[in-house]
Amino acid sequence: MADTSPKVCTVNFGKGAQDISVYKSLGGYSNVGKRLFDLSQFELIDLVTRSGLRGRGGAGFPTGMKWSFVPRGGKPVYLVVNADEGEPGTFKDHFLMLEDPHRLIEGMLICGWALGVRTAYIYVRGEFLSAVESLNKAISQAYAAGLLGANIGGSGYSLDIYVHRGAGAYICGEETALINSLEGCKGQPRLKPPFPAVSGAWSSPTCVNNVETIMALPWILENGPEAYAAIGVGRSNGTKVFSVSGDVKRPGVYECALGLPIMEMLESEQFCQGVIGDLKGVIPGGSSTPVLTTAEASDAKLDYESLAAKGTMLGSGAIIAFNSSRNVVTMLQSLTRFYAHESCGQCTPCREGTGFANRVMKTVVAGKGRDTDLQLLLDLCEGFTPTTICPLAAADAGPIESFTKKFRADFEAAIARNPERAEERLHPNFRPGAFW
Amino acid sequence: MTHANLPQQPTFAEIAPRLETPAMKARVADLIRRYPSPQAALLQVLWLAQHELQWLPQAAIEWSAHQCKTSPVHAYGVATFYTMYQKAPVGKFLLQICQNVTCHALGSENLIAHAEKTLGIPADGAHVSADGLFTLLRVECLGACGNGPVMQVNDDFATDVVDGVVTMPKSISLTTERFDKIVAWCRANKEKGLVRDPLGGTLAGDLGHPGAEGASAQKQNSDYAPPPPALAVKAIAGTGVALTWKAAPEITELRIEHSSTESGPWAPLATCSPKDKEFAHATGIAGDCYRIVAVSGARVAKPSQIAKAGV
Repeated sequence: MADTSPKVCTVNFGKGAQDISVYKSLGGYSNVGKRLFDLSQFELIDLVTRSGLRGRGGAGFPTGMKWSFVPRGGKPVYLVVNADEGEPGTFKDHFLMLEDPHRLIEGMLICGWALGVRTAYIYVRGEFLSAVESLNKAISQAYAAGLLGANIGGSGYSLDIYVHRGAGAYICGEETALINSLEGCKGQPRLKPPFPAVSGAWSSPTCVNNVETIMALPWILENGPEAYAAIGVGRSNGTKVFSVSGDVKRPGVYECALGLPIMEMLESEQFCQGVIGDLKGVIPGGSSTPVLTTAEASDAKLDYESLAAKGTMLGSGAIIAFNSSRNVVTMLQSLTRFYAHESCGQCTPCREGTGFANRVMKTVVAGKGRDTDLQLLLDLCEGFTPTTICPLAAADAGPIESFTKKFRADFEAAIARNPERAEERLHPNFRPGAFW
Repeated sequence: MTHANLPQQPTFAEIAPRLETPAMKARVADLIRRYPSPQAALLQVLWLAQHELQWLPQAAIEWSAHQCKTSPVHAYGVATFYTMYQKAPVGKFLLQICQNVTCHALGSENLIAHAEKTLGIPADGAHVSADGLFTLLRVECLGACGNGPVMQVNDDFATDVVDGVVTMPKSISLTTERFDKIVAWCRANKEKGLVRDPLGGTLAGDLGHPGAEGASAQKQNSDYAPPPPALAVKAIAGTGVALTWKAAPEITELRIEHSSTESGPWAPLATCSPKDKEFAHATGIAGDCYRIVAVSGARVAKPSQIAKAGV
């Protein structure tokens, strides 16, 4: 069955909507006028709440609820769009910003109106210079058209939008680290609470939303929250943009209604047109989400609740499919290396633990693994997961626990190459976890 | 970066002619006006400095700190925290090959081995090829997994050369042949290089952050939006008409209006406080229409939905 849901974020792909005149001719900015300016802030937040829109960056927190936490009437409120797309496997925001930058600006106007934002920032990861260029061009066009700046359309509302280029740190995708980076500091996460909605950038209320979340707003305002809530399944309302990569015939960025079976995404003509080779596993939501085996993937659906029921997460919607010719042991090591590299160094359990896990994995890959290594990895995960400020360490544990459990035979075969594998790597007293 | 491999550092006097230019001064001022505190512009100023010098010597980091009114040690911490700031000189073309999970599964290790052999330098980001053109670096996810394996040359995604331009066409991944093609392109274009504005150009028409140095933006007018109307207005006819509603926040006064038809004319009936949740219209009968106009200070909300009194 083909997915016939409307395209909320990707409708203008390939139509040249980077130019404001084309974007307007496709219906863009038509609601930035009476339709928006007649709405009270309260009604607009209520409208987004009723649409059931949830944060598309990974956590899936209800957007309307997040906005309702922002206090008004005191300090200035900031909107920061999180375009620090660094989760391995994810590349949707990159193409969303390249193809349709004006939709992001229109979404920011809507969010800005709802929260009383005067200055908004788009935090774009350093590698996406072309997206920064595309956004700057679009923002300049919007200023020229009177859609940004002071007293927009005579409404009395003013908004300025700036692009802030990051400089290569995965952790800056975490909202409090992103705020630190915006303030010109090292991107190290802050303790929560206080949450950014109450005290974020420059100790002011700050709303941090993903690019895709903001880009869904123009459609919701145009078509009404009920129309958006009617798409999807259960509490997973609306559409989601998926980035599909790996062993599929046509990898790319696809938008569909939440609740689509994962195999349909991989095999239908509309989307990826089939898997290359025999599917061995699927990472459903970016590298931090636990992997699914072929059997688990066969009946998995792409929505928040059904993936949670399978012990994994929808995350950022980055589907990585791999076939039986791929070496899952080196794949896991590429992930442990990534987390060890990207740990910001603030919390000791993460800084030391992710590096330790990576060193263990390196020896396994090099054929020097021990029989006790798989248990050692699990002990490490248990030690660093609940003891850190941000979820980076937990994100390392997701793939470690799931890969070693679900593809155990591959790991045991890799360890079996070591003739001295029976020797313990560590004395039991020095094992991680022995102290707590 | 450790002290053991600190590169030869130029003095500030040596790099000053590149940094202390009117164009750079204007650019830095434009950045500082965008934020409530000058320190926030630090990442952007470091980008500008790196663009001028192709890398970030300590003197340039200190210069950036000075521009952003922050301490050199803070700027040094920032510059060493982020991986895209080059703390040692790199070649004219910085080739960054992704080694993360998708690219790894699709064969990036073979590509890295091929690149190291072709250019004769290890992929550690610390070596420059003998001709000064190339530095090779393994990087983590570049955010273009649909094209995996992928590479960036300086700030451009590069998986092929099409019509004399280094680019990343849809669904085209990097192969050893395409890598060689890109390297050949770099050699042929070594004079021109592959350079882009490090901040994606400047803006026109922006007003800055209210209160920042050089900004013309004013604070947000706090009552730009109308107050919310009363919600869920219901009128039940019995003995008279009982009117109920849900009041929204921000309201200072509710004006109840009455009409015998849905199209008006509307006559004022009563004024309620925002704490009230109901009103009894003693002389109302079934079929009468009511609406509520919420008021917040000087601002008036649009009238609520019309409630027709039913039994």
